[in-house]
Amino acid sequence: MIEKYEKIIGEDELYAIYKVAERLKDFSILHINSTKAGGGVAEILNRMVPLMKDLGLNVDWKVIRGEEDFFKVTKSFHNSLQNGVGVLPEKAFETYDKWQAINASEVPLDYDIIMIHDPQPLGLIDFKKKGKWIFRCHIDISNPYPPVWDFLKKRISKYNAMVISAPAFARDDVDIPQFLIPPSIDPLSVKNKPLKEITVRRILHKYGINDDKPLVVQVSRFDYAKDPVGAIKAFKEARKHLGKLQLAYVGSPASDDPEGQEVYEKTVKEAENDRDIYLLMLPPYSDLEINAFQTGASVVMQKSIKEGFGLTVSEAMWKGKVVIGGRTGGIPLQIIHGITGYLVNSIEGAAHYIIHTIKNADQANEIGERARIHVKNNFLITRHMTQYMETMLYVTERTMPEELRKSQA
Amino acid sequence: MNLDSKGKGIPFKFYAAYYPPTYTRIKANNIKELLEGISKVDKLSIFYHIFHPILSSHVVPEDLPNDFAFWLRDSLHDEDLAEIIADIQGGEPLTIEDIRQELIQLMAKGFTDRKGDYPFIFISCKPVIYPLGLEVTTLSEFLDAIGNVPARSIFYHFVYKRVIGESKTNELSNWLEENFGLIELGEKLSAIDPQTYTDEEKFRNDIVEMLEDELL
Repeated sequence: MIEKYEKIIGEDELYAIYKVAERLKDFSILHINSTKAGGGVAEILNRMVPLMKDLGLNVDWKVIRGEEDFFKVTKSFHNSLQNGVGVLPEKAFETYDKWQAINASEVPLDYDIIMIHDPQPLGLIDFKKKGKWIFRCHIDISNPYPPVWDFLKKRISKYNAMVISAPAFARDDVDIPQFLIPPSIDPLSVKNKPLKEITVRRILHKYGINDDKPLVVQVSRFDYAKDPVGAIKAFKEARKHLGKLQLAYVGSPASDDPEGQEVYEKTVKEAENDRDIYLLMLPPYSDLEINAFQTGASVVMQKSIKEGFGLTVSEAMWKGKVVIGGRTGGIPLQIIHGITGYLVNSIEGAAHYIIHTIKNADQANEIGERARIHVKNNFLITRHMTQYMETMLYVTERTMPEELRKSQA
Repeated sequence: MNLDSKGKGIPFKFYAAYYPPTYTRIKANNIKELLEGISKVDKLSIFYHIFHPILSSHVVPEDLPNDFAFWLRDSLHDEDLAEIIADIQGGEPLTIEDIRQELIQLMAKGFTDRKGDYPFIFISCKPVIYPLGLEVTTLSEFLDAIGNVPARSIFYHFVYKRVIGESKTNELSNWLEENFGLIELGEKLSAIDPQTYTDEEKFRNDIVEMLEDELL
């Protein structure tokens, strides 16, 4: 299975992955999260755990359980960590602790290395039996609701290391090492594998896209943070200069977002029944369609004003596209301005780079090629997995080959 | 030169390394804070920002080969100081501590209170070293290896080991001098300043060309 990646990452990189894995082979490793399917963490683990096994590692993946009361609490934790405001259910902390104890009695914790994903199972550290523990935080915790943060921080301090996705999400009040490991895309997945032109054309045709006009694409939920209204305004401004241009805003319903409908209505209003603007609401798991829109785009926008890591940026860059992204969250790690894409802070900036990209095809191709290489080097699942293994080597003090350790001693 | 000679019989073992980044909890919004940060971060952080951009995984503009220079231009819009910091010396026999001192001196000249568009975040790293399973004993084998090993292996032996203070000169020169007495060639290699590169393959090519000129 891991060999399938060789044609993408090359023989040397694959060899390095084997060598890094080799030093972990005598450890038992456990990943723990809170869901087997749905969401980015489960998606990554579903692919990464078999790859790690394929490398010869003794690795397991367990999912904690809980009832409605527990998941209401963890949902409230999640929201309060991301937006700094807390609306917690009654006795939230007691409920959280109760389910940690229940899971600790059911999940075997006698592994050499345990990687805990996100706050839901974070408290299992209170029941640590042995080994080294790593807390992998996938969410932005830079502006948390203090009571929740203080509650979790006490547990984080018991870990050997923490992993965050970007420097922007780091914490200054955590003393354990904070490794910076971005999330990743899988180049062999339906969303990212190369598509035949006919498939791209067929899907764009299905949604009424005109193949005579350059196409601007933004793939995002209808969410204020993604600035759909700003994306439309930038598109309209660019069209004034280019004449022919169309926009596809490829969204999905945000069922857990009370503002979703309101944002959608405002976006529709801004679109004003413009025949060059396509506001699409794709069902979950529309990976093939998303791939087709990104592949068929002339330029991709991610005009966010607040963002998590923003992996849709890497998805489009992997397809060799110029991406115009807001300077927020993890986007500046992916887009190096003028080298692997363009970073903008305004509608005018976004419009400018839409025009520039469409009028300068050669330069766009060069940026697209550099973007693809940047993703290959930094944002593929193989790199992600290697960095997890590197963190495991760090906590187990095995960062050096034994012969070098001996010679230095 | 007999390329199949084994010299004194000392083998050269190839290793490579990854440099997984870690957060240092130090940020700078202006030159004053950047100077404070440079003064107090660990040496691996200076190494990461000055030398790691040679590797293809670390992208900076071609004309600004280190992170400090890039931030000075992109965030602080101080083109002049960015150019000065871009050309900071990184060759032998300088260590990270020498480079830290030079950075401090050069930046003190461009002292302003102006705030950058975004902060400079100091990153450090925890190197993870792995063997390539390749050991050479002759110059022929050495030449082939330099042309074929991953660039991050050359970077490890030529840059990391020397600037971090684990080796006085780069390990390629060390071996050529110790095992074959090739002092002049070793010194020529030592004159290559890795800080000027933003492309690992150009860096490798310059080393290969120098070896070829002298040995073939």
